[in-house]
Amino acid sequence: MVIIGENIHVIAQTVSTALRERNAKVIQDLAKAQTGAGADYIDLNVGPMKKDTEETMQWLVNVVQEATDLPLSIDTLNPVAMEAGLKTCKRKPLLNSASGKSLSKEQMLPLAQKYNCDVVISVMTDKGMPPDVESKIESIMDTVAYANELGIPNEHIWVDPILLPISTAGEGQRFTVLNLEFLNILEDVLPGVKSTVGLSNTSNGVPDELRPHLNRTYLVMLERNKLYSAIADPLDKELMSLAKGEMSKIVELIYKTMDGEDLDLTSLSQKEVEYVKTVKVLKGETLYSDAWLES
Amino acid sequence: MEYKAPVEEYSGVVREVTIGKGKNSINIGGENMLPLHFFDKGSNPNPMKFALEVLDMEPQDWPEHLTQPFKDVISDPVKWAKRCEELGANAILLRLVSTDPAVKDSSADEAATLAKNVADSINIPLIVYGSGDDKKDAEVLPKVAEACDGMNLLIGPVQKENYEIVGKALLDHGHNASALSPLDINLLKELNVKLCKFFPAEKIVIDPESAALGYGMEYSFSLMERVKQIGIITKDNMTMMPIIADLGGECWKTKQAKENKEQGLLWEGITALSLLSAGANIIVLRHPETLNLIKKTTEVK
Repeated sequence: MVIIGENIHVIAQTVSTALRERNAKVIQDLAKAQTGAGADYIDLNVGPMKKDTEETMQWLVNVVQEATDLPLSIDTLNPVAMEAGLKTCKRKPLLNSASGKSLSKEQMLPLAQKYNCDVVISVMTDKGMPPDVESKIESIMDTVAYANELGIPNEHIWVDPILLPISTAGEGQRFTVLNLEFLNILEDVLPGVKSTVGLSNTSNGVPDELRPHLNRTYLVMLERNKLYSAIADPLDKELMSLAKGEMSKIVELIYKTMDGEDLDLTSLSQKEVEYVKTVKVLKGETLYSDAWLES
Repeated sequence: MEYKAPVEEYSGVVREVTIGKGKNSINIGGENMLPLHFFDKGSNPNPMKFALEVLDMEPQDWPEHLTQPFKDVISDPVKWAKRCEELGANAILLRLVSTDPAVKDSSADEAATLAKNVADSINIPLIVYGSGDDKKDAEVLPKVAEACDGMNLLIGPVQKENYEIVGKALLDHGHNASALSPLDINLLKELNVKLCKFFPAEKIVIDPESAALGYGMEYSFSLMERVKQIGIITKDNMTMMPIIADLGGECWKTKQAKENKEQGLLWEGITALSLLSAGANIIVLRHPETLNLIKKTTEVK
């Protein structure tokens, strides 16, 4: 599993202050820590960037490239910032992200072609978020066809099905299930494309101390459904062990639970039981609540 | 070829909750079928129940056509409750609005004394609801529970913010808990999980919040429907509890109900019928004529 380190993110107060004050050390420490933890890419999420757009982006990319040799994922919806970022990258970057929205098709996708880089394309369209597997497939096929016409081959495209928080009343669990299905059939409809997700989004709104349970378990479930990469927190050691295939016993337990095997919970450790319970809410078998580990 | 309608059989059973003691008690829940699915396997041993609402102080904002049936007793909650009993209610819901710090902030002891008086004066079970202010309810409801020790009332709303203190008092004094969460199935389940760590599941009633027709009723409808489906079909232990639809107050707050009587009765009646078909086991109404209207509508001929 390819892990794109999510920690340089403008929503984090430390990051946004460091950007404003041009504090290279804070940013570089985050880049080094993620590199050391085994990330494959470093995501640079700078938000909308209304001021000094090009200058800020160039500074950020240069500062990070001084600290790590990893390729970068330039994460912004601002096409000016995007181009400034792509231009400054020494290694082939990832454009994160484009979508099926007209504005994105007109402004972002041509950049992927111009800089010959990989590009994340989400299933979003002008109509918003497609509500089911079928419409997600339909919308991504349209956008990928458009990208192909611009000269972007499937091999450069990383499809993002968009994960929604599991705790969204009623609907959240429907989406955790539906995205597994979507990823499973993606390869068949669009041969050669890769895929990625914003993993932590699944646990958005869940109490902080419980979020890793959902992120870790869902990563394994998604990987089994052919997910290629995830934007995630590489500083979560257990998550990284799972991503690197070092916890085969837990992975096997997750698979068994996904397959509906009858498991004797009394023979399992507390940690294993927690994995089983988490799979059950993520596959929609038991109704989610923030107390899912307690019942 | 002869057509044979499919018949479903369900594995979940809603817990049966008894409110009150002895011959004056009622049971709610106990069904092992989806609401009104009489064509499937399973049954509902306890047909729908109706409570009429009594306030602990003279209502301030009720239209004349709503106070009319109680005009002569409206300043005396005990007499008012007896009137509701005569009018055919299966239970009384006493709402302690005056304890709200934003209303009169009347004391927990006063409220407890009144609740005991009302409970002693009627021959049908009593449901007691605090003002909904979670902090004040944490003082008031334990006092009510203590004053009515052993009477097996249904007391609420027990909320996320006060379930530990209120739940413990209800347990100590032998009452049922009405667990309220704000129109969200995940929060509803969470509250039940937490409450059940020390409180018996078979003494919990779910209050999922009931919105009025035109004011979000469809949210309450689909939530109740979902609670029943997850309980009855997938046997989720934490949703197999009976549901209370506390809707009278919501309906009579609307402009439409206040405008004229017939509109008000229909507003309350249609909201009640809708939530009954979504799976509510006990309905709280304000107007006795709505009660008659629904009884007539749902009567098995």
